[in-house]
Amino acid sequence: MKLQHYIGGLGAIDFETRVFVEPWETRIFGIHVAMMALSTYLDLPQTPSIFRTVWTWADLRAGAEAMNPLDYFKFRYYERWLGGVSSNFIANSYITEAELDARTEAFLSKPDAATPSSGDPTIDARVHRYLVEGASPKRDVPFTPLFAVGERVTIKNVPAADHTRLPGYLRGKTGIVEEVYDAPYAYLCDTGPDGIGAPMPVYRVRFDPQTLWDKKTETGFSIYADLFEHYLGDAVA
Amino acid sequence: MNERFKFPADREARNAARTKALESLLIEKGVITGETVDKVLGVFETKMGPFNGARLVARAWVDPAFKERLVADTPAAIAELDFPEGMAGAEGEHMRAVANAPGVHNLIVCTLCSCYPWPVLGLPPYWYKDPTFRARAVREPRTVLAEFDVQIEPSAEIKIWDSSAQIRWFVIPERPSGTESMSETELAALVTPESMMGVALPRAA
Repeated sequence: MKLQHYIGGLGAIDFETRVFVEPWETRIFGIHVAMMALSTYLDLPQTPSIFRTVWTWADLRAGAEAMNPLDYFKFRYYERWLGGVSSNFIANSYITEAELDARTEAFLSKPDAATPSSGDPTIDARVHRYLVEGASPKRDVPFTPLFAVGERVTIKNVPAADHTRLPGYLRGKTGIVEEVYDAPYAYLCDTGPDGIGAPMPVYRVRFDPQTLWDKKTETGFSIYADLFEHYLGDAVA
Repeated sequence: MNERFKFPADREARNAARTKALESLLIEKGVITGETVDKVLGVFETKMGPFNGARLVARAWVDPAFKERLVADTPAAIAELDFPEGMAGAEGEHMRAVANAPGVHNLIVCTLCSCYPWPVLGLPPYWYKDPTFRARAVREPRTVLAEFDVQIEPSAEIKIWDSSAQIRWFVIPERPSGTESMSETELAALVTPESMMGVALPRAA
């Protein structure tokens, strides 16, 4: 388990209601969406884009989980994106770090210099299509859920790997299955020893916060989490 | 002061230049086009945004049967309205609405990061992505909501929905009093993204 996923305290909330707080944040957001849309695993029309990488939310999230936790909390949301996205382009040799550094210095001295205007419109058509059609992880295949509504289950503490969809505060805790979702759902990548990726049942599990926080919490509320079957351990009486 | 927590004086200028450098290199090399980013952002200005969620909530307020359908089968109810394309698009493939009611208040969180129902709410605001909000919402929701100026009766139940797998949740808040004579369009103007995530209550202006 990593600090990024075990968040149980901390001080004052930042009430910022804006989506972007600096204009550059809009650009890195757009680049990330384009990468997801141009990812090779999607069943969308080929384009002349030279992008030949699988890039999904899982890659962006794994990058954030790989950060030094102190840096994770230090940097703003889209600063983490900028770091993760640009290092992926460097790691996959689309650009070099020296190139990016040199171009950064150039824009630092001339912030209003223009970016190029070239490109094939089929690239943008594919990005648009991804946005409006989405990419559902639902797989309409027969499945046999291991657990049923009303069963009490203890959540596993799976090994910390590159990436997880199991919130830290639920590990080892017991909840009640409220709903077995209608089909198996895949995840964006194979998370290795963490255990998700292949299509599997997903459950909504209700937790009593008193049991999550050893009674050091408020009363009169419930927590519902959507959890992949691999994260559910033994049924308990 | 420890160097680790220092930011360079030109933090934002450098972020902006580096992002622009990246975009310009990606265009030059043929990864994206000169219009890709603008076109992505355009979708969130015109097609996927909180203006859709506000319309859904206003319709739910004037039509209780629609509200029931919106909770029971969210995508089917959304499809009844004349929305632009994309209502089951990225980050909205599996959306679900939950309704506030007397004695029940819903709050949406993504403790892992920032999952958010894009087609109906657009992109997540900073407070939703704040690690402190994510941490405290699941442990002391009444205190957190009070800091957002939302007081929940001690007798009421708060339901917290942690968006940790495929579902993207949103809240249908209760219709505020004093709005009986308002049109659906006027009602929609009262519905904020915050009220559809459960950290605000709509108020008659």
